[in-house]
Formats: sequence, structure tokens, C-alpha cells
Amino acid sequence: MATTTAAVTLTSDLLSDNMSVSASTTCMKAGTTADGLDQMEYGYLDLVTGDEYDLIAATPTATKASKLYLKNHSTDETYFIAVTQNAQAIGKLYGGDWMFIPADFHDAAGDIAITANGGTNKICYALFHEGTALVTT
Amino acid sequence: MATTATISISSDIAPGFGGISESMTLTQAGNLIDIDSTTGFSIRKLSADSVVDLVTMASELVEPKDSVAAKIFIRNIGYKGVIDKAVGVTIGVNAEPIGKLYGGDWMMMPLTCIDADDITATPATDDTVVLEYVMFYEEA
Repeated sequence: MATTTAAVTLTSDLLSDNMSVSASTTCMKAGTTADGLDQMEYGYLDLVTGDEYDLIAATPTATKASKLYLKNHSTDETYFIAVTQNAQAIGKLYGGDWMFIPADFHDAAGDIAITANGGTNKICYALFHEGTALVTT
Repeated sequence: MATTATISISSDIAPGFGGISESMTLTQAGNLIDIDSTTGFSIRKLSADSVVDLVTMASELVEPKDSVAAKIFIRNIGYKGVIDKAVGVTIGVNAEPIGKLYGGDWMMMPLTCIDADDITATPATDDTVVLEYVMFYEEA
């Protein structure tokens, strides 16, 4: 079984006592404990301003257990990318920010799209999934 | 004051993939000033397969600033120590399903915090499941 593990440590001193949360999960196929995600794509790209682009164009099999990691590697903190799914705004990743979500490619419109602001943003992403509809040539 | 989040991903799917290890300090939009507000850490027990608001943006005690640098962390911690990888909770934003958190899964994502963009949770079944979550944001 392929094994993909995602761990996070979150700390904050905003509260009266320091908060520290650690979590780790093994990324499994949908609804099973026996089989891990076994396919992935990984990329690093320059994202120019001006248009919205599909980062993931809803090709992984719908309603499965895909996991998407996305980081804005821009070093200018005023740069950001706006992230949407199916035209619904999720939020903005400023330079240095990352996100990790269980992306739900529920139908052909469920694309993950990104738009650069401030200048050309440098993006790193990884999608772990369990199946993709390949496009024939 | 600082809030930080570190992610580590390891995988043996692709030969040669060296993994991912990245940290971020949660800052306000467009500068290096630390983010300054949080909902605090919360848990929510769900026992029905109907949609609920995990965060209702218009009802926060401190109004979050819209469309800036907010983040939310959510984790499915199962129920009474039992983490069921077969049962998921769909997390949504303004009725758009973002993805399903199976037992033990976690997510961290940016938010708009505008009033329409509530964070919703919809369990796949009526089996009891608990979500823990914390939101960080800028005060309006």
C-alpha cells in the first residue's frame, strides 16, 4: 500500500496560555482503512497576474479522497493568490502562506482556480489522489 | 505574538519525491505584522447527517475583516477515541463543498470571512463525530 502522511503543528500565543496542536493523518482512499492514495502530481510554477487559471481542472475522480497542498512561495508579503473552487472564493494565500485541503472534485465545474495579485507569484502544489480521467490526444 | 503552522508531508507514491516541510507565520494581509485575533479552539459534536454552520461569519463576537488573511484549521477527531476512516464530514464554504474530512483527517485553508461565506459541516452519516477547529483572523 502506498503511504502518504500529512502532519501539522500549529502554535499560537494569542490566548492566555500557549496553544499547541499537532495532528497527523495517513491519506487513505475514500471510506477505507485498507488502501492509501496511490497517485500524485507535483508542480512548481510562476503565476502571472491578469487572469484566473485552473490549477486543478477537476480531472481526479469525483467524490474521492483527494488532498491538495498549495503554497505561495513569493517572498514579497504583499503578493497573494486568490483561490477559488467552482467559482466560490476560498481565500487568499499571501507570500509564504500554504493550505492543505481535502479537495472535492464533485463535478466538472469543481476546478481549483488561482489568480495572482501584486506581481508574478511562485506557486508550489501537490495533489494526492486515487484516480484521474486522462485526456486522450 | 505569533501564530505558526508547520506542515510535513511524506509519501512513497512517486519514486524520488523528497517530501514537503514548510512553515508559515500567520500575518496580516500584505505585511509582516502577526495576525491578532482568534475564535479560540473549539469542538463541535455532530450526530446527524444534516448541514450545520461551523463558523457563521456574521455572528462572530468580534467581526472579522473581510477578504484578507484569515485561516482556519479543522480536524475530524472521531468520537470517544474511535476514529473512523470510513466516515467523512464534508466541509463547505457558502454551500460549496470544499472536501471531505475522514476520521483523523485535518485541513488548513484561507478564508474570506465575508458574511456569506460561512464554514459548513455535513456528516455523511448520523454516526456521532467531533470536529475541532480554530480560526485566526484580523479584526474589522
